[in-house]
Amino acid sequence: MSTTVPPLVETRSLSRTYVVGDVRVEALAGVDLAVAAGRFIAVTGASGSGKSTLLNLLGGLDTPSAGTITVGGELVSSMSRDELARYRRSGVGVIFQSFNLIPARTALENVELPLVFAGLERAERRRRASELLTEVGLAHRANHRPPELSGGEQQRVAVARALANGPRLLLADEPTGNLDSRTSREIVGLLAALNREAGLTIIMVSHEEALVSEFAHGMVRLMDGRVVESGGAA
Amino acid sequence: MRFADAVGFAMVSLRKRRLRTFLTAAGVTIGIGALVSMISFGKGIQKNVSESFRASDLFNSLMVMPGGPEGPSGDPDEGRPVKATVGPKDAVLDDAAVAAISRLPGVRAAYPDISFPAMVRYDGEEEFRLIQVVPAAVASSKAMAIKWGRPYSSDEETGVIVSRSFLRRMGTRDPAAAVGKTLTVMSVTLDLGQLLSSGLGGLLSGKGLPVATESYDFPVLGVTEMSPFGGGPNPMQSDVLIAPGPAGRIKRLPISSVWDLFRMQKGRLGYSAVTVKLGSIGDLETVGTRVREMGFATFALADQFAEITRGFYFMNMVLAAVGMIAIVVAALGIVNTMVMSILERYREIGVMKAVGASDGDIRRIFFFESGAIGLAGGTAGCLLGWATSLLINKVVNLYLAGQGVPHISYFAFPAWIFLGAVGFSLLVSLVSGIYPARRAARVDPVVALRHD
Repeated sequence: MSTTVPPLVETRSLSRTYVVGDVRVEALAGVDLAVAAGRFIAVTGASGSGKSTLLNLLGGLDTPSAGTITVGGELVSSMSRDELARYRRSGVGVIFQSFNLIPARTALENVELPLVFAGLERAERRRRASELLTEVGLAHRANHRPPELSGGEQQRVAVARALANGPRLLLADEPTGNLDSRTSREIVGLLAALNREAGLTIIMVSHEEALVSEFAHGMVRLMDGRVVESGGAA
Repeated sequence: MRFADAVGFAMVSLRKRRLRTFLTAAGVTIGIGALVSMISFGKGIQKNVSESFRASDLFNSLMVMPGGPEGPSGDPDEGRPVKATVGPKDAVLDDAAVAAISRLPGVRAAYPDISFPAMVRYDGEEEFRLIQVVPAAVASSKAMAIKWGRPYSSDEETGVIVSRSFLRRMGTRDPAAAVGKTLTVMSVTLDLGQLLSSGLGGLLSGKGLPVATESYDFPVLGVTEMSPFGGGPNPMQSDVLIAPGPAGRIKRLPISSVWDLFRMQKGRLGYSAVTVKLGSIGDLETVGTRVREMGFATFALADQFAEITRGFYFMNMVLAAVGMIAIVVAALGIVNTMVMSILERYREIGVMKAVGASDGDIRRIFFFESGAIGLAGGTAGCLLGWATSLLINKVVNLYLAGQGVPHISYFAFPAWIFLGAVGFSLLVSLVSGIYPARRAARVDPVVALRHD
């Protein structure tokens, strides 16, 4: 990687403090991170080390208490609520441990969801969502609802949904936490393929050392809201 | 997010919670139904009264009363907007005055308001009634609404006109059969000859006043329809009417009312009231002014109608307020349902935000949901209110038909009631949706998506 190219994701002294009652909890305490475009980075750390907080901030779901976040040249940390919505819609895709699909909607409709908020026409949405489901190998399950799908299938739907608006960055918060080891490997393999073939930048929170070492380019370890070890991100 | 998609999302979520949507909309339905039937009842009554006023020709008449020192202040009905005289205070409302009034331009007829009490016998039944003297010109006008038979053709024709309600009290069910039958008027007179011959001694000896009863037979010429409002705005307060000619031949105490008695004690003769029929309502102002300049007080129902209209406005307000209570309850139902919906869909809202829904998108979805409830409830409420009103109208008319009251519609449904009700329902539901929609928009996706 050339050092002259600015990283896709960059945080400076990123902090997030929660106040619960009288107690201040420092979930993130000054994280400096730079992830170059096209990298597949794993974030590890013990429970409560700030991994999810970091991902929520990068995904525009939460706003920092201090510090800055830059994604693709945009200063995410100073965006308004509406700008953040637009950023979530098109700048970043997220997948979760618990999939977070809408149970009453079919796989196809779940994938369509971001396209609805982007204001696309119905026919165009359908076409794009079908393509994405085909891409993750679920074209035959398009009209099934999440409760009728296996965990691995649900996570594939979630991946397709995260990619709907063509983001350059994909955030995965313990995507294999609810899956067996074989399915876990399939999902992380799918992410790696997207990273390899489409140049998608991926930041994945994971505990699974084997998968991380097999697929990820680099790793960031957090402890008590601070980066204690990092390598291969830039 | 496209408008159609936001509507679609709202519909999907309403359909998913069918029972609750139905129950909430049912609350709105009942509220709007109550409001619609209340307002249509108010409007119906107003319409009926206005129409019967108009039909009765009453707006074209003017009541003239003496404008003396006391004026008509003895009138117990103080609410009457009687316009006081602006002319001489001692003008007497006698035949000359009546003649002068009838010569005024715009006056069709002027006749004294004369009535006298008498015992009336019809078909074996007897009752004490006030008999009103009405000229033929008025009896044959549309003010009278004679439904069976005919009015007397001249002021000299012997015969009476009775009302249907009078016949009912006398036990006659069929008004058509009454035409041509005989009605007997028995007047009571003081036998002056006997009073003089027996002197005071006779009085004191316990024989009482020497009273003579005279009977006069009249054929029933016509029967007027009973007013649906219990006599209501009928110009004739009495329900036995007679022409001036035969009335003059009935011997009676020369007292036609308490007013005359009062007046006579002061040594002034004159009528207590004179009815003036006008060619058109447009003449009311000029004729009224001229009459007041002559020294008399006037009373016109048309003047009072403005007051009646104000009364109806007030009545409609009260009815609407009753309906509003139901609407407020329904609105709280909407708020409750929508807030519940937020709690249930907390995670779903979080998901929508995570994939790019803006605060405005979420707000719109919830707003449309409550709007749809209002629209559906309002439309159904119109139907409910309409159906209920028809049913009540049917039952009431069925009951009143047994009392001889003709069929009338107690409810009126101008188009604006329905349009207004649906619009109002939509407005109420949107207002009810403001708080839930804002609250939904403020859902924090991090909290909503936290692993559970």
